[in-house]
Amino acid sequence: MSLLSRLKGLLQIRRLEGDLDEELRSHVEMRAADNVAAGMSRAEARYDAQRRFGNSTLMKEETRAMDIVGWIETTGQNLRYATRMLRRNPGFTLVAILTLALGIGANVAIFTVVRAVLLQPLPFPHPEQLVRVYDDMRSSSTHGVGMSVPELWDLRDRSGIFQDITALVSADANLTGGDRPQRIELLGTSADYFTMLGAQPLLGHTYLPADALPGFSEPTVISNAFWHRTFGADPNVIGKRIRVDGDLYTIAGVMPPDFRHPGRTLGGDVDIWATAGFAAPPFPSPVIRAARFLPGAMGRLKPGLTLAQAQAQLDTFVAQLSRQFPDEYPSAAGWSIRLVPVQQDLVGNVRTELLVLFAAVAFVLLIACVNLANLLLARSASRQREIAIRLAIGAGRLRLIVQLLTESILLATVSGSVALLTVIWLKSALLRLAPADLPRLSEIRFDPGVLLFAFFISILTGVIFGLAPTLQTARASQITALREGTRGSGSTKHQLQFSRLLVASEIALSLVLLIGAGLLVRSFWQLLQVHPGFEPHHLVTTKIWLAVPNNPQDDPYFTREKRAAFHKEVLRRISSLPGVEQAALGNGASLPMDFSRIQTPFLIENHPLDIERTPAAEISDVTPSYFSALKTPLINGRFFTDSDDTKGQPVALINETLAHRYWPNSPSDAVGQRFQLGRVLRGQTSAAQNPWLTIVGVVGDIKSDGFEAESAPHIYVPLFQTPPYDGVVYLRTSGDPGTLGDAVRAEVQRVDPTIPVFSVRTMDSIVSTFLAERRFALDLIAIFAVVALLLASVGIYGVMAYTFSRRTNEIGVRIAMGAQRTDILKMALIEGVVTIAFGVVGGLLGALALTRFLQSMLFSIKPTDPATFAAIAALLSAVTLLACLVPARRATRVDPLIALRHE
Amino acid sequence: MSKPDILQGTLALLVLKTLARGPMHGYGITLHIQRVSKDVLRVEEGSLYPALHRMEQEGWIRAEWGTSENNRRARYYSLREAGRKQLLAEEKNWAQLTEAVASVLAFAR
Repeated sequence: MSLLSRLKGLLQIRRLEGDLDEELRSHVEMRAADNVAAGMSRAEARYDAQRRFGNSTLMKEETRAMDIVGWIETTGQNLRYATRMLRRNPGFTLVAILTLALGIGANVAIFTVVRAVLLQPLPFPHPEQLVRVYDDMRSSSTHGVGMSVPELWDLRDRSGIFQDITALVSADANLTGGDRPQRIELLGTSADYFTMLGAQPLLGHTYLPADALPGFSEPTVISNAFWHRTFGADPNVIGKRIRVDGDLYTIAGVMPPDFRHPGRTLGGDVDIWATAGFAAPPFPSPVIRAARFLPGAMGRLKPGLTLAQAQAQLDTFVAQLSRQFPDEYPSAAGWSIRLVPVQQDLVGNVRTELLVLFAAVAFVLLIACVNLANLLLARSASRQREIAIRLAIGAGRLRLIVQLLTESILLATVSGSVALLTVIWLKSALLRLAPADLPRLSEIRFDPGVLLFAFFISILTGVIFGLAPTLQTARASQITALREGTRGSGSTKHQLQFSRLLVASEIALSLVLLIGAGLLVRSFWQLLQVHPGFEPHHLVTTKIWLAVPNNPQDDPYFTREKRAAFHKEVLRRISSLPGVEQAALGNGASLPMDFSRIQTPFLIENHPLDIERTPAAEISDVTPSYFSALKTPLINGRFFTDSDDTKGQPVALINETLAHRYWPNSPSDAVGQRFQLGRVLRGQTSAAQNPWLTIVGVVGDIKSDGFEAESAPHIYVPLFQTPPYDGVVYLRTSGDPGTLGDAVRAEVQRVDPTIPVFSVRTMDSIVSTFLAERRFALDLIAIFAVVALLLASVGIYGVMAYTFSRRTNEIGVRIAMGAQRTDILKMALIEGVVTIAFGVVGGLLGALALTRFLQSMLFSIKPTDPATFAAIAALLSAVTLLACLVPARRATRVDPLIALRHE
Repeated sequence: MSKPDILQGTLALLVLKTLARGPMHGYGITLHIQRVSKDVLRVEEGSLYPALHRMEQEGWIRAEWGTSENNRRARYYSLREAGRKQLLAEEKNWAQLTEAVASVLAFAR
């Protein structure tokens, strides 16, 4: 019978009982009426009529079911009975609770993360109005190319879609004045940043309208963590002055502990906020449209404006600007501005991973449910007699169903509580598994929403795994059950088929999960095969940062010569440190896999200009020893030398990707060619004063944006020709990276005691951090898949063992009649194989339908990779076949005499 | 004083015979049996309704909602073809049984 008609039957029972009730009532009324006619008083007549039903409890039960006290009483009875049944089978109960707790716990844990990261609105008023604003160039499909100050002003004053808009400029900064210089994270914004977010300070105030100056203004707002770390939570901190990058700032306000900048940062939470108009030093002035140095902006849309409406208005506005300034915005460049909800921007690609994980744990729970349903089904066979007797002596089927369900729901609720307590208890350990850069990690907490989810999912679990065996049991014909019960067989053919169906679906579910895990593992393996273009082992890096004071007059490193001299001295000192084999310096962008970098356009001399695609490349400043320290090979020409400095001819190295793109026939032709950096307008760069750089060599590609990204065109410029403010130190060593960090700090501060040295890391750890996010999802899904495989194997083992133990009798007869043991084994195996085959086919179909959701997490294999599908299906078949081979072999060893006596 | 309960197994026969006269509700059936047997046979409500439902499931009788003589909603039972056959079989059975009992009682030494 199908589940649907079963449910219909349930409804019918209710209707019939309603009918019966009414019928009996009409009977009582007729009798009472006759009694009155015969001369009884009304009350007497009614009493007499009802008394005649004395031996039937039906009326009473009916009326009792209608009032709540009775309902509670019944539930209490059911619960007591359920507890008794569970306590009588401690083994079963323990296994069930553990299996379910595992499934529910995994779901609660993942839900907690999903809720904090994806579902919880950002902690600001009307978070849906907050958007990130990015500039794109459609022609070269580059995103986030940066924004210029006039564009920011246009968006603020003329676009008509923003209440407030603020530029966001993340920067490393030096805090001096303490024991030793400290690197801090500074966020430069427009003056309406806090008003836009609707955030209030804990102490003091945020920016005032008077703080909106063209350059940086003096008042600064500090984070709660920074306040605690640097000022020991001093309540009189307001008005204190701090020196950041050589400039004095006055602390105007302290933010509350739960305030966080809703966006990505350079390397941790923002420590201080500073406000600027971005139109005076240290920013380029005069203000021009071509200077896209603002990484982006954040705005609050006008109330009532949807994202789509705002984007449409913005598109019109951009088109209008492009017409107004055709030189700045050539239509070939395809300049456009894109709005992204802040929440989505913050969460980014983590979304897919979390949803995939959520699906994976749901699968595990489902498999656990199916397994338990099977256990219950086997157990219900032995309870068949009890049920049949209770039915025979007049128990209502509905009442029985409710009672059996009470048992499974009780089991699930207990498991849910165990799971919830474990997850809460293990919270910090579990969170350590999560990649550190998981957005909104600090917002993960257990609140009533999580509790509600845990409760809801427990009940649902109980209903899911309890319903099938319950209906199966309550449906059973009492007569056959009683009769079969006496013969000791106790489970019908129908029931075994149902068990096999459950096992097949369990196998299918596991297969989907395993194939998903297999695809991820293969992607990861393939990723590890990619050569990063450098040798990450035994390579230590640290960062340094020369302060950029707001007034160039205060900048001791304002000239290139000063900076070059500093870097030269630092390099000389660290090269002679003990244990250092090779030392090199580069700017921030030279550090592979650190953070995303921007591409700068350039113009190649005497090269046909492709109007649709302006050449653009990532640019790094490096010292001559950079490539030998990283062990990146030279393909053509020469490396930099010490004479490539401010006095020498301007030169550059390019990577293979760039060489192949513009000199496809013979990349070695690139050597000797010249190019100029800068935005290209009508055949010349906008920065005509920039020097022409001569290409002196081609080097191997470095996977600077990570293993899975295609290598981007990259230009290397000698660091001593364009000395940067941000520096990265590279040390190839066999020594201990921890002590090396201290040694580097000491040497750098011997050159200049105000320069901080921070973020000492081995290249290996940078690479593994880069892989961490991928690893996180991979590890978890792999664990879930293995759990699923185990559960499925246990499931099929259980059902097969049970089937054969029920058929001992039959097998004994067959053997007695002369069947060979191999025949018996064959017969047993065929049943297992059929079940497994159904499961595997179902699983393959399910995987075909579902793996495409993994697309964005895969690397260089298709979501329907036939090899993975085949290999995993074979593995699962083998394991499950083994699980049914064991009980099958045992069945063939049956001694016919014993088997026949078994009856 | 106590009135005899209807003998096990004869309730179906009595109900079927009653319904052979035409559709009747449960209360009417008890009244009819009581009246015709001159108060000797008395049908317990507690056994009548389970019996009616069993017979309905067996397909001997069918039940429909109707209105009673004094305008009350009541469930009317009527005989189906299978019930008519069952009635004949049970009547024959009963006749054989009473005849057999009578022979035993009439046997005099």
